[in-house]
Amino acid sequence: MESTVPDFILFLGRFHPLVVHLPIGFLIFAFLLEIYGRRHINPALSTAISLALFGGAISALVASVLGYMLSLSGDYEKGMLDTHFWFGIATTLVTFFAWSLRSGKLSIPKLSGLKPNMATLTLVVVLVGVTGHYGGNLTHGSDYLVKYAPFGRTEKVVLPPIAKLEEAAVYDYLVNPILETKCNSCHNSSKKKGGLSFQDTLAIKKGGKNGDVFIAGNVADSEMIKRVMLNPHHEDYMPPEGKTPLTDEEKSILSFWIEKGNANFKVKIGELETPDEITSIASTMLGLEDATGKSGIPLPKVSQPTAEILGEITDAGFKIRELVFESGLYDVVLPSKSILAGNESELDIKLKKLLSIKDNIIWLSVKDNHLQDKHLKTISQFVNLQKLEIEKNPVTDNGISEITANQSLTGLNLYQTKITSSSFESFVKMKGLKRVYVWGTTITENEAANFRAQENRPEIIMGM
Amino acid sequence: MCDHHDKLRSNNRDLQSIEKQLDRREFFKKTSLGIGAIALGSLLQSEKLWSAVNPMADANGSLNAFAKNKLGLPHHLPKAKRIVYLFQSGGPSQLDLFDYKPKLKDMFGQDLPDSIRAGQRLTGMSADQTAFPIAASTLNFKQYGESRAWVSDAMPYLSEVVDDLCFIKGMHTDAINHDPAITFFQTGSQQPGRPSIGSWISYGLGSDNDNLPTFISLVSKNGSGQPLYSRLWGNGFLPTEHQGVQFRSGKDPVLYLGDPENYDGKDRREMLNYLNKLNGIAYDAYGDPEINARIAQYEMAYRMQTSVPEVTDVSDEPDHIFDMYGPDSRNPGTYAANCLMARKLLEKDVKFVQLYHQGWDQHGNCPGGVKHQSKNTDQGTAALIKDLKQRGMLEDTLVVWGGEFGRTVYSQGQLTDTNYGRDHHPKAFTMFMAGAGVKPGFTYGETDDFGYNIIKDPVHTHDFQATLLHLFGIDHERLTYKHQGRRFRLTDVHGDVVKDILT
Repeated sequence: MESTVPDFILFLGRFHPLVVHLPIGFLIFAFLLEIYGRRHINPALSTAISLALFGGAISALVASVLGYMLSLSGDYEKGMLDTHFWFGIATTLVTFFAWSLRSGKLSIPKLSGLKPNMATLTLVVVLVGVTGHYGGNLTHGSDYLVKYAPFGRTEKVVLPPIAKLEEAAVYDYLVNPILETKCNSCHNSSKKKGGLSFQDTLAIKKGGKNGDVFIAGNVADSEMIKRVMLNPHHEDYMPPEGKTPLTDEEKSILSFWIEKGNANFKVKIGELETPDEITSIASTMLGLEDATGKSGIPLPKVSQPTAEILGEITDAGFKIRELVFESGLYDVVLPSKSILAGNESELDIKLKKLLSIKDNIIWLSVKDNHLQDKHLKTISQFVNLQKLEIEKNPVTDNGISEITANQSLTGLNLYQTKITSSSFESFVKMKGLKRVYVWGTTITENEAANFRAQENRPEIIMGM
Repeated sequence: MCDHHDKLRSNNRDLQSIEKQLDRREFFKKTSLGIGAIALGSLLQSEKLWSAVNPMADANGSLNAFAKNKLGLPHHLPKAKRIVYLFQSGGPSQLDLFDYKPKLKDMFGQDLPDSIRAGQRLTGMSADQTAFPIAASTLNFKQYGESRAWVSDAMPYLSEVVDDLCFIKGMHTDAINHDPAITFFQTGSQQPGRPSIGSWISYGLGSDNDNLPTFISLVSKNGSGQPLYSRLWGNGFLPTEHQGVQFRSGKDPVLYLGDPENYDGKDRREMLNYLNKLNGIAYDAYGDPEINARIAQYEMAYRMQTSVPEVTDVSDEPDHIFDMYGPDSRNPGTYAANCLMARKLLEKDVKFVQLYHQGWDQHGNCPGGVKHQSKNTDQGTAALIKDLKQRGMLEDTLVVWGGEFGRTVYSQGQLTDTNYGRDHHPKAFTMFMAGAGVKPGFTYGETDDFGYNIIKDPVHTHDFQATLLHLFGIDHERLTYKHQGRRFRLTDVHGDVVKDILT
């Protein structure tokens, strides 16, 4: 269809959303003036109203023509487009009629008792509203307006929560949510960009103007994958500029579904040979515990501390380094031997300074700084901590029991501390813990071996 | 900015003339007498901008450079905070160390099939050979650890730590001769002139220890062979403060740190302050960013007077540590001693430590040569990995072991039952990594039965470099530097991160 429409027409057509706001403004303004004129008689108002109506009528005409041009692109759902089309025409015609009445070019004596100006203007405003609403539905999708409305929200089909990853249907639980968040705003039953809709499985199978969305089992030739894998600056890249691109994980899920799942809408994860990568992505998406234990703990979303706060912390002698640019997540290091024996109270003050960025600290090193058990109480408040280096400090088992609530901790360095095997209990309580370094403590090889023999234990690393 | 009244005024005639030039330029700038002056000003400004992480900014207090990285790094969460790269210069024979090819035993002495070599161009050293007899390794291979990795008996110590290693058996590179190949590995280009990996990382991420260089290289004295040039740790077109600093392989890694007799060093700070002012004048006159680099390096040298003796002092290392690294480790400048030094530098948060050990170029007497080289390096390498692990440092320290290429399966020169030589082979060789973010006890990639071609999961030099940067939180495509009108990067226009070896 598109091939028969000259590009220039489409180019002009795309000005429709721009021009269409002119009549809306003109006509509503005319209506307001009319109401105002009821109370404050002023002959100048009369001129202004008819001028506003004239402007509205002309711009409505232009908008209608442009709108027709845009409709030729074939990107829009036919039924809703027709409604919008006819309402648009009606608005334009009624506006001309209203203007003729108002300016006195047309006078119908019969109507004089019916307040013709007010009546036609009210009609115009109603028509503008209706037309605009349908236009909005075409552009943004019919659920756009009330999606976040506090009332009467139609519940979506809620998928039952899944307890085991194997039972999750790949399409329903993984693929569809991605399509819904990243694709459906332009590819739905009312707005079919490129003739493609992801509204339901039938529509997806049907494909778009450029053919099939996917070829089962063939990632390389599947249009959907090709488009999202392109260089983001490429003309055909999807989602287009300005929309949120797919993450690497989402791309992997789509590829996995097409390749391994043969783009089957029913297949479950358990029925497929699932690489670790997919298992861990899927677990994260479904909020399940990652069976592979590889994805690690997701990075928390935190607010960025001010330069002032950071300045105070560096002035206290800490070295700080942002772990991901502008993430507000920090690696904080107190250089070893910053605190000398007898000066432990200084460490209190320094560590308290860190409380102002307590959620932002992901890695922390306070090695060889006379850190004591009481200091670990402060450290236990750094809830997002993933790596903690407190080796070469007089820390005991009591200190370790203070930080058992730090569930995101994965690596804990305790070498040359005063801990004993009683700390094993604390290690077990820290669910995220993967590796503990205990060389140079009283823990013996035997104790470590016994501990290792049990299931789901963090690795205990001794001297080599 | 009208601060030139505060500037030092010199009573030296030469400097006064420079000051006059400066005044004229500032006059033009201030009165905006020409667009040229403005353009020039903005050019100078951009030079300063490109010089990125300026250690001087740290010295002046304010926010330290890493609270907010000027280049927008890291791009993603890093796994590695520091790296030790054990470069085995010369091209270690993968066929006699890690890439076990039992089928070759039956083909001993047979000619390498043409279908395998597929017309590959050889070096001038073996291209004229009439025959290419297959030389199966005479060394014994065994499987070790839970990962069942194959290691020859040349490396008994390394075989103890295979469960911490990630072998990449499908390495390949573009160059077939030493210098281009090693330059390619270290700088991403076979032609000299590009910055080395360490310089890129220093430029991108800055320093974690203001008192020591970010990038230090150590060349062991007990290896000899193809020469190494300082450009392998050079900064190329990056600002000079990102150059690797080579420590000498002897008792004094850095010379002239001590004060001369009868000088207490107390006025050195004063002297440096004055020198910095003079350099400041020169910078304002010429706008050459290299002057800033020089100021930074003077300051670094000043701080190194105290930091280097501290870090290079091994006297407080207990005997069992020396025993672990082997007898060589008590002899400063040997590979083993450098491994121990590397650990101490890494402990002080030096970001990039680069070791070089020469002599892996076994064109003749390959079995003996490999054994000899291994004897000098095996214990040190294994000890370094163990030592880093027991200190918890393997958690965020990356260890890399590898040469610039591998060696051929066919014998260069005479093949006997016990002896053979091997020529350069860029099409398939083995490297290993360990530590931060790399899968432990893992082998990636596979070569054919001849160890000649890669049949599964090839990793190109650029892929390796991209992966290395990735582990530091750097997207190799986005760490660039504009030079001579073009943006350069370590991996040029190539490189894919090898995701399969990442944890």
